[in-house]
Amino acid sequence: MLLAALALSLGIPAAAASASSATTGTGWVRLAHLSPNTPPVDVYLYSFGNSTAQIVLHHVAYGTVSPYEAVNAGDYSVAMRASGASPSSQPVLSTSVTIEAGHAYTVAGMGPKSGLRLQVLDDQLTTPAGKSEVRVIQASLKQQTVKFTCGGQAIVPKATFASVSMYQAIPAGTWTMEAIGSGDTASQRYEMAAGTVHTMVILDGANGLELVNLVDAAGAGKPPAGGVTTGFGGTAGHGPGSPLPWLAVIGAGALVSVAGAVRLRRQPSAGI
Amino acid sequence: MPNRRPAAIVFAAGLAVIAAGTAGLLLTRHPTPALRAVAVGVAALPAPAGPIVAPPQSATPAPVARPVSLTIPLIGVQTKLITLGLTTSGALQVPSTTTVAGWYTGSPRPGAIGSAIIVGHIDSLSGPGVFYRLSELRRGDDVYVERADGTTAEFRVTSVQSYLKDQFPTQTVYGPTPDPELRLITCGGAFDPATGHYLSNIVVYATEVS
Repeated sequence: MLLAALALSLGIPAAAASASSATTGTGWVRLAHLSPNTPPVDVYLYSFGNSTAQIVLHHVAYGTVSPYEAVNAGDYSVAMRASGASPSSQPVLSTSVTIEAGHAYTVAGMGPKSGLRLQVLDDQLTTPAGKSEVRVIQASLKQQTVKFTCGGQAIVPKATFASVSMYQAIPAGTWTMEAIGSGDTASQRYEMAAGTVHTMVILDGANGLELVNLVDAAGAGKPPAGGVTTGFGGTAGHGPGSPLPWLAVIGAGALVSVAGAVRLRRQPSAGI
Repeated sequence: MPNRRPAAIVFAAGLAVIAAGTAGLLLTRHPTPALRAVAVGVAALPAPAGPIVAPPQSATPAPVARPVSLTIPLIGVQTKLITLGLTTSGALQVPSTTTVAGWYTGSPRPGAIGSAIIVGHIDSLSGPGVFYRLSELRRGDDVYVERADGTTAEFRVTSVQSYLKDQFPTQTVYGPTPDPELRLITCGGAFDPATGHYLSNIVVYATEVS
């Protein structure tokens, strides 16, 4: 049976870093509003100790997730203000986040309005070979507890409101993802390609439960081995060549002149 | 009275041969200079005319059309893109001609999330290839990929690296990213006439402009 073929295993967060940005000293951050009954907000990202925001997102409504922004590794703070509030006003909420080179983070406003908090999530970039990875954020207030299935198999049996699951590896392929609450269900088919990492967000939509598929990262499904052979040398400088022939010529000349000198000595000068 | 002249002539001739050998040795110690960069087209090409579209949102990103051509104004590159797969040993295929670049179909399409891999030759047996001047690129330079639907993705160079082929950092170059990126790869470094191969690869890292 197809469903039984679904082999699920826990993700490996230890291998979450991207090596490429580690070489340039940058990491990534994205900002999200996932609190159902909180009105739109302005979100600010400050480099630590800098009062001018590096990134400002205006009028971010529930369910919005920004694209990743590449930022220099270091300490940052994220602040939320009511939409349209002065940038110098006291934030409603703020939190600090340390961004490591080669790592990605999601900073999300979570929970109900009365208990709103900013949560920093470590996002994973890598998958085991040939697999896709999925985690679930339960951001529906109307369906407090949701069962989340992939291909009919429960990968998060009991997702409570404002919870974030761990990543889980699933076989690459097209899967039906389903969020099943006590009073409503959302279902959607998604292509989960090898080497891609996803966060599925469960939201309260206008017509009940909604699913959003966030792509956290993607790599080559089958990475090539090693470098490439892309040159034939037509523009390469030619080396100086071997000095041996010239040294042989010098040696021969030396022998000849030594022979001449010896003969000159042996022959006594005339007339003396 | 013995004639001293033949011995003197032998001695002088020996000295002359030494002088010639020394001159020959010194004159050939300088390597032949490599061909100078050939500016294809004028100093800088214009950016492509197609509409430049924003990078995808991470939320349910829209599909991206396949890449058809590559433009790097600063180094005069304007080439169509062929498609490349892997060799039987699992290495990247390279274009069969040195005048076009190719996109590895197992990597994300340029402008989709992840690292799109594009490969081109630095030279042929007789002269410059499409990526001859790739190593001249610097952080901040623009790279454009035109796609089958007429849209253009604009990338900005973040870093240019040279790696010895026997120490090629596969994960760094081909590994996953959370944003749309590009890797342009060619040969570089010292050329080994014994094997007919360059010893290094040049890798240009670029990120899509938002």
